[in-house]
Amino acid sequence: MLNTALSSFGAQVVLVTSSDENHPPESMIDGNTETFWLSTGMFPQEFIIRFPDNMKISVISIDSSNIKQLRIEKSTQEDEKFDLMAEKEFEHIEGGLQTNEIPVDGSNATQLRFLILSGYDHFVSVHRVGIQA
Amino acid sequence: MVKLRARCIVVGDAAVGKSALSHMFCSDGSHFQKNYSMTAGVELLVKSVNIPETSDSVELYIFDSAGRETFVEACEKMWGQPSVVCVVFEISSLDSFNSCSRWLERVRAQCNGLQLLGVLVGNKSDLASRREVETTVAQEWAQEQGLQYLETSAKEMESCDAPFLSLAQAFYALYQDRRQMIQRLG
Repeated sequence: MLNTALSSFGAQVVLVTSSDENHPPESMIDGNTETFWLSTGMFPQEFIIRFPDNMKISVISIDSSNIKQLRIEKSTQEDEKFDLMAEKEFEHIEGGLQTNEIPVDGSNATQLRFLILSGYDHFVSVHRVGIQA
Repeated sequence: MVKLRARCIVVGDAAVGKSALSHMFCSDGSHFQKNYSMTAGVELLVKSVNIPETSDSVELYIFDSAGRETFVEACEKMWGQPSVVCVVFEISSLDSFNSCSRWLERVRAQCNGLQLLGVLVGNKSDLASRREVETTVAQEWAQEQGLQYLETSAKEMESCDAPFLSLAQAFYALYQDRRQMIQRLG
């Protein structure tokens, strides 16, 4: 399930703070690590993924590069406020992707907000986001 | 098409012309303030720079920072994580040139180990008759520090855009380089 494309069950990226048309945000949820979304300078950076229904999430996986501090927040309805879900400092990986599986409390969420607070370089990339429901 | 964003920190001693340069650049040369008004804290200016022969641009968030020591600590808090730096001195003041290494160190200290691209600007090139800093001396120091050296005159509207255009292009080149590196990871 972690490797399944989130887009295949109707998830969408509804907000993103950087855009390079060569690296669209959909690249994060297509299940493919060869395509990626790339930030275009300055921190923090943010993106929000919305699911068609409430999901019970137990693990969130992320393939990325250059991310240092990441905060994940969730909301259960479109207009509701976001609550902290997890906060993590990633290790710096030279010449490869950062692969992280973050266990969360199994609570319901319709939207996940990813806040990239700092990086190991000016630009960070996200190649794949997966969840275990 | 892509629009990059860079935090550009402008530092240097008081009254060397940091604000004059920043304003000349952001107003396309229509605004040279004849009366000196000291910057307290940081003034934020934003301008987008088109990268030649592409449809891409770099949006520069210019943090024009006070040169007075009393304001330094407050300024440092507002810089955040700098992307690029513009260190300014005036060619008619050796003291202002000697301060440049201190200014550069202050900005570097905020970078959390990230690479910092930068330019060194010798402003007030119209005061050539009172020159205290030789071009070759400034150039040499800039090279040691990995900075590009440029001389400008905000008053004569001479090359005011050059430092900012150069920074935007260097940042754009860094982005393309990193993009290719990341492409190979996937």
